[in-house]
Formats: sequence, C-alpha cells, structure tokens
Amino acid sequence: MNILISDSWLRDFLKTKATAYEIGQSLSLCSQSVERIKKVGHDFLYDIEITTNRPDCFSVYGLARELAAILPRFNFPAKFNAGEVAKIQEPEGKNALPLEVKITDPNLCPRFTALIFEIPKLGPSPKIVQERLEKAGIRALNNVVDISNYLMIELGQPMHTFDYDKIKGAKMTLRSTQKEEKITTLDKQTRILPKETIIIEDGEERIIDLCGIMGAYNSAVDEKTRRVLLFVQTYDPARIRRTCQLLGFRTEAASRFEKGVDPESVPLAIGKALKMFEENCQAKIVSRLIDLYPKKQKVKKVRLDLTLLARIMGLEIPKKEITEILESLGFLLKMNDPSLITATVPHWRYQDISIPEDLIEEVARIYGYNRLPNTPLPVLADNESQEKFFWEGSIKTALKYWGFTEITNYSLIDENSLKKVNLEPCDYLKIANPLTEDLLYLRPSLLPSLLRIISQNQANFSAMRIFEIANVYLPQGENHLPDEIKMFSGLYTGHDFFALKGLLENLLENLGITDYQFATSLPTTSIFNSQKTAEILIKGKSIGLLGEINQKISHSFSVTSKLIGFDIELESLIKNATKIKKYQPLISFPPIIEDLSFVIKNKIEVAKIIVAIKSVDRLITQVDFLGSFEDTQTFRISYQSRTKTLQSQEAEKIRNKIINEIKQKFGAYLK
Amino acid sequence: MEEKLMALKNEAIAIIWQTKDLADLENLRIKYFGKNGELTNTLRELPKLEITERRRLGVLANDVKTAIEHAITETKEKILGEEKKEEWFDVTKPGFKFPLGHLHLISQTIAEIDLIFAKIGFTRVAYPEVEWDWYAFEGLNMSQNHPARDEWETFFIENLFHQKYGVGLLTPHTSSGQLREMERKKKPPIRMLNIAKCYRRQSDVSHAPMFYQFEGLVVDQNINITHLKGTLDYFVKEFFGKTRKTRIRPFHFQFTEPSFEVDVTCMVCQGKGCRACKEGWMEIGGAGMVHPTVLRNGGFNPKLYSGFAFGWGVERVLMMKYGIPDIRLLFNGDLRFLNQF
Repeated sequence: MNILISDSWLRDFLKTKATAYEIGQSLSLCSQSVERIKKVGHDFLYDIEITTNRPDCFSVYGLARELAAILPRFNFPAKFNAGEVAKIQEPEGKNALPLEVKITDPNLCPRFTALIFEIPKLGPSPKIVQERLEKAGIRALNNVVDISNYLMIELGQPMHTFDYDKIKGAKMTLRSTQKEEKITTLDKQTRILPKETIIIEDGEERIIDLCGIMGAYNSAVDEKTRRVLLFVQTYDPARIRRTCQLLGFRTEAASRFEKGVDPESVPLAIGKALKMFEENCQAKIVSRLIDLYPKKQKVKKVRLDLTLLARIMGLEIPKKEITEILESLGFLLKMNDPSLITATVPHWRYQDISIPEDLIEEVARIYGYNRLPNTPLPVLADNESQEKFFWEGSIKTALKYWGFTEITNYSLIDENSLKKVNLEPCDYLKIANPLTEDLLYLRPSLLPSLLRIISQNQANFSAMRIFEIANVYLPQGENHLPDEIKMFSGLYTGHDFFALKGLLENLLENLGITDYQFATSLPTTSIFNSQKTAEILIKGKSIGLLGEINQKISHSFSVTSKLIGFDIELESLIKNATKIKKYQPLISFPPIIEDLSFVIKNKIEVAKIIVAIKSVDRLITQVDFLGSFEDTQTFRISYQSRTKTLQSQEAEKIRNKIINEIKQKFGAYLK
Repeated sequence: MEEKLMALKNEAIAIIWQTKDLADLENLRIKYFGKNGELTNTLRELPKLEITERRRLGVLANDVKTAIEHAITETKEKILGEEKKEEWFDVTKPGFKFPLGHLHLISQTIAEIDLIFAKIGFTRVAYPEVEWDWYAFEGLNMSQNHPARDEWETFFIENLFHQKYGVGLLTPHTSSGQLREMERKKKPPIRMLNIAKCYRRQSDVSHAPMFYQFEGLVVDQNINITHLKGTLDYFVKEFFGKTRKTRIRPFHFQFTEPSFEVDVTCMVCQGKGCRACKEGWMEIGGAGMVHPTVLRNGGFNPKLYSGFAFGWGVERVLMMKYGIPDIRLLFNGDLRFLNQF
C-alpha cells in the first residue's frame, strides 16, 4: 500500500533541518521505501510504500515518529512533536443526548468510542485541509466528512460520521451477520453482505453501517444534518479483510482496519477530532464520551539475547548503541543480565514485534544495513550435483545447433485447444479463478501450444523448427498433487519424417544411448497420424513418439504445411543418458565392404532385415541401409576381423549365408 | 633401352611441367615411380642386360630418375608458390549456412544463474509448480487470513484439497521450495538454488501470469546478514558486471525476519539517478534471514541454525540486462523476437 503525504504536513510533527530528499533517502534506507518525491509549488509530495507489517507508519504522524529515530543516525537532529491528548468537556446530565450502544461480541470491536456534536451548518473545510487532502489523493467534500478523512491520513485512524437524527431510537447494536443481508452504502451501491460481516443496526433493525468499510446511505450526513455522530473504532482485522475479499470491495478505511489499528491511540484521535470539529464546524459537544474498551491491550515484553543479535547480524555492536536505537523507537528497556535485554513494546508496535528476531531487525535496520560488511560464504567440503539439469542443457544446446528455436509457452491453455486435439478438458486440472479464458487448464500436452506457435508464425516464416521443454500436469485424484512430467516436444515443418528421425538418433547417440529402437506405434494418440508414427523405445521401454501430425488437427489450428513432431518424456530419456564412453581397440585390418540389393516383395521392416543380416556372422561389423527403389532394398555390409586381413573367399562364404538367411526368413532374393 | 629411357624422360618432364594441380602431380609420380610405374618397370629390365651395358644404362637410368624427381619437386613448389589467377573467386557471395537455432532468453539466463551459484556450492533443484497451501503460505508463516497473502495473487485449482496441507494452488513463488528442501536434506548445510515457474493473477508490461523465479536458501550454523550481503553482491557483480553495486533496505515478508529489498545501481545512469530508476537504484527483489518459524516447520532448530533466503524474478533480471520493455514478449512465441537471441 502506498501513501501520499506532503512535506509541510509531515513537518507539523517533525522538527528537523533535513531536506525532503534527505528525509526520503534516510527513510528508504532504514524503514519505509520512498518511491518518488515530487515538487509541488513550495511543498514536496512523498509517495511512500508502506509494508503490511507497519500499519503504524501508515500516517503522517507515524512517519514523523519513525523519522525522529532515523534522521539523527544520518547526523540530522530531529524531534517528534507527539502532541497531547485533548481533554473532553462533556455536557452535564440532561443536556447530553442519549445513545444506547450494544456490542454483541467485544472481539468484533475491541474499542468503540463515539461523540455527538451539534453544528450550525455544513460548509467547506479550511483551505489547508482541502489542499492537504487533495495532495493525498482524496477529494474534499465538506467540513464534517473532511475531518474524518484528514485524521485518517494524519493519524492512521479511520473515522466515520453519521446523521444522529437518522439513527432510529438512538440505539445501536453492533453484531456479526448470521446470514446474507443487504445494505445500501454511501456510494448508493446495494451490496449483499456475506455471513460473519460486522455491521451496526439501529433501533428499527435497519443496517446503518458496514463497519470499518463504509457507512450506510440511510444514515449519511447531508445538507440538513445538524447533529453529527462521530465514530472512532477499532475492529477485528481478519473480519474486515474477509468481508472486503468476499465483496471484492476495499476502501481507504478498510485497508487500514484490515492491517490493524492501535486501540491505545484512539483517545488521541478523538481529541484531535473534537478540536477540528470546534474549529472547522463551530461544533458543540452534545453527548458524553462513549468509550467501550472492555479488554485493554496487554503490555507486551520481548527478550533479546545479545549473542543472538550478534550471530544474526554477523557483527558485534556496542551495547550502548543497541539500547539507544531501541529507546529511540519507543521501547522501554530493562537489563536482566549483561547479555539480555527485556524490551517493552510501544503500543503502536504491538502487532509486529513479538519475537527476538523482530528486535534484531529493529536494531540492524536503524544501525544501517549499509554499514554491515559483505562476507563470502565459507567453502563447502562437498556439494551435490544434479545431473538432470546438465542433460537438459546439453539437449537444448544440441537442438539449437540443429536449427531449432526454443519456445516458452504458458503452462495454461484454453478449453478449445484441448478439444481440437481430442483431449477431454474435464480430465485435466482447471483453474478455479482464471485470469482469462485462454489460461484455464493446466496443459496435459505441449503440442497444442506448439501448434498455435506454428500457426501464428507461418505468415512470417516458410520453414520452422521449434521445441519446448516444460512440465505437463496429470491429475492424480482430489487429494494428491498432480504428476508433473517434463516433456520435450517439438515440431518441424516439411515432409521428411526421416530427417527428424535421424536428428533424434543423433541426439540419442550424443547422450550415450545405444539401445534404442523406433517401432511402429499403435495409434495411441490422435495428435499424430496413426500410419506415420513411431514409438521411441529405449531398452524396450517407450519414452515417446515421433510422427507426422494428423492433418485434420493441424488444419484445425489453421496450419497449412505438413508437420512432423515429437513428444518425449524428458526424464525417461535423461535417465538413460551417460557420460561414460568405452574405448574400443582400433582394428588394424581393413574391412571388406560391399553393397547387396535384395528384391523384397512383402512388407518387411528394414530394421528387421538389418537385424537378420547382422546376426548371420560375427564378422559382419556394420550394416547400413542405402535406399530402396521399387521392391529393391540396398544394404552396405562391412566384414572385418580383429585378427587378420579377410580374404575375399571368406567374405563370399558369409555373403552366401546372408542371402540364404534373407531368402528363408523373408522370401527375398538377391537382385 | 637407351631410347626408351630418353623418351620417357622427355615425355615425363614435358607433362610434369604443364601440371597445375597437386593431385595430378601425385598421379604422375605414381605413373612413373609407383609399383607398376613406367620407370620402375623399365628399371626392372636392367638386370637382364650384360654387365657393361648394365653399368652404362644404370648411370643413365639414375640420371633420368633424378631429372624426373627434380621436375616433380620443382613443379610442386611452383604450384604451391603460385595462386590460381584464371578463376574469379567472389568472397562476397553468401555462405552456405549450417542450421542455427536459438535458445530462449530465459533458458540462457537460467544457465548463467545456475553456473554463477554452482561456483559457490549451490545445488540446483526444482519443486512442484502445483503446490499445497502449506508449502506456499501456511508453512511459510502466512496464516489463512494474513493480509500479506494479497500480494501473492494466487491461482487456485478446482477440486484439489488435502486434509493436512490445505488447498491446491499454482505456486506464486519459489519460496515454496524452502520447506521442500529442508524436508529433503533433513540436516545442514543447505545451499539450494530453486529455479522454477511461478504463477500470479496479473498481466502487464512487467508482470506475466507465468514467470520464473530463482530462489536461494542457505541454512547452516552461524549464517548471518553479512553472508547474505556478500552472496548477493557476488551474484550481481558476476551477472551484471563488476562495477555494479548493491544495497539492502528494510522490507517485510512473513517468512523472513529481518526482511530486505535488494537494489542494484541503475545500469542506465550508473547510479546517478534517471527516469528508469529510483534515485539511481533499481529494485531487483526480496531477501531475508529465514524466519525461526519457517526453520522449525522445515524441521530445523532455530537455536542451532540460521539461514538466509532470496527469491528473484528471472525475467526481471534479464529484462534489466537486455533492455526488454515488455515481459509478455518472452511468452508470446513470436519467432521474430526469439530468433534475435
């Protein structure tokens, strides 16, 4: 949350010679981040990001108090002008207007205060109030409503004003809603309140306030208002936050209440309000002060062991400096023994200081993080290495040098893309609160996204080679996390299945994998053309598919060219990768190499023929497929011995065995 | 015989002198001196002659051999020393391109980050993207109703719930890996580098619904703020350059205490202050000392061990480094963009 405050307002509470820029830099280094300083006329406007743990800094007053502790560390003397709690002169007996207040559960509203004023008429606020509000980004309205807004920025305490005469029976009940109830708020919006919302109803059971968030329209101050009821409260932050979330509606007041407002600061606020009512509205108090505060906030003490402080800061600082820092922030200290400090937490820091580490942060930040040295980490005796990232990197690099461009898609996909590839959306994980309909399901496959990429780029590129490595998500039931499987998938425009197959073969060999096969696949997925798809097997186990993309599917993504793709489980691939390569002694005897062409009428897989040829004799060291023409398939065969130079008669013997084998097994003959 | 030798000599020298190519020259050498070479074969006839004739012709044959060898050597030197002039060789014609693709900038950046931290003993890990509330929030000291949760605009998954760990969601930060790593390691030292996809419900020039973070976690005896500062400074100097400076400022995270925001001197103005930065500094990300509750939730005794953690956006640092104006360019798959890197 950011707050906009003007420098002149800040100096109402802070006496210092530091310039706005010096203030900005000091505050950023030791406390809240000043994001911008803007010069406005003779004044400066600070735009400050307030962290959620420091609601006490969410005001002009709180920032001045913080700066009074910080500025002296930068050699700028500074004094905080805390002001005094005003005394309230209540009217006597009968003259006081009645207001009956019932709070059903004090946890909902730890402190409830109220005062009633009589005003001659509504009018504009003094110029300074209007200007300061406008600089803070709030529109000035009238002299009554402006007071509550002004003090919210000045003190961090939201307030609300009602028209006393619109509260029926001068009666109020603060309660939590049990069922859905309706309210029309000040902005004339009718809202359906969720259960367990804090509201106030009047004597006729009309809801007159959506507590901590916005008042109701039915009790709002207007032109005719002469008696104003001022409310200064604190509420249960969790309830306020919950209601805001469920309503999807948040006000300046709510964003303060949901972070917690200090009940001990309420009297200061109501006193200031009284003074402003008197000065800006010529108002007169016409009620007693109602102050319901049944459970006073406890005093909190936190103990700090100075050895822990030194251990976490990495530096020992003099005890005197430690105590000075903590005292400047409002802590009351007691030394139990030389290395133990008991700090009483100031009431405005009640929520965020609870453990010794919180005090360490206080000391360290005011001491100055910039004054701490940079220390390198000690050297570790041994460290683990994760091989899988090495292999992933080497696969990516190989693909890059074979001309592929890596894509990073969102893991989320639309419903229609799943349907286009015949995946049933209801089988996959769905986002309960999607940002857009395009990002609705967790991808069970990378291919639909890659098809989209081809489609988007085809106007600019005639040939494309793309790949992606990313998780897919497969549900495992309602109380198990899904399986996240890292896939390695790619698409290639053009006709050649065998070019991509060759590339994958190279890749496998580069990973040290030799025991692989490309087998005719059963039609397992309809993204691929079932006729032209191979299952990739390592040691007989499938790791993925390579094939032509089903044209009907590529057409549904408006892709015009033919696509070859692959879809591989990365972990299964990497599992088999090895850096180990074994030396094979070089053979010093030359091979005999010859080409044999067979006429093969039946549909026999080339891989089977190669295996058959190889198994004929140990002296056959290599069999390569050279090509086919009509029914003729040509193979190049190497015969080689490790112990001698082979004679042509020996090769001939083996050749005859091959011809026999092929004839018997496949009914084929030598051309 | 004599005539034959002389004819061979004249012919050979004439042909050799005209040769302009080393391969042709080698073929000529084989033609005359090879196993079945013309000169070799002629010389084979020498022993058949009578002794005086043999002596005379032997000297002659040797002269012929020397002369041809000489011619070959000279021609070879001539060819080697001379550049071909007759052919116009146009070097401006385009080269034949071997295929070259492109790694995604995110991959390149991750590889760089991985290497920088590997040098100081960090172990790279990756943990689930679909996570339980416990790992993403509750176990990190962020209870159900904590307002700090609002800053992590979280995507929730339909119909995913665990009795003990709460609802299923897309992890909004890599900090969810902190508890996972503590559970995996069980005892110190921990030096984790968790690089993973994270998700938040937001989309503008500097936010994408999916992005990467890299998270460092160090847990051991006596780990302190100065180690955190030293490590971050090391990273920034390795990644952005030796002249860059870092600073840490107070911030707030529920899972670290104290918590910091880390700034790097602006690369545009070198820290002087400009439009691109905040008074000379650019925010790079959050960091802090691991909260004792988080250590305890991970099974580590905060009385014995302390640690620090940081979690930064991969895209944020790469956008700063490469000057990329809109994060969504990284994810829309436009090859005209991707092929630039």
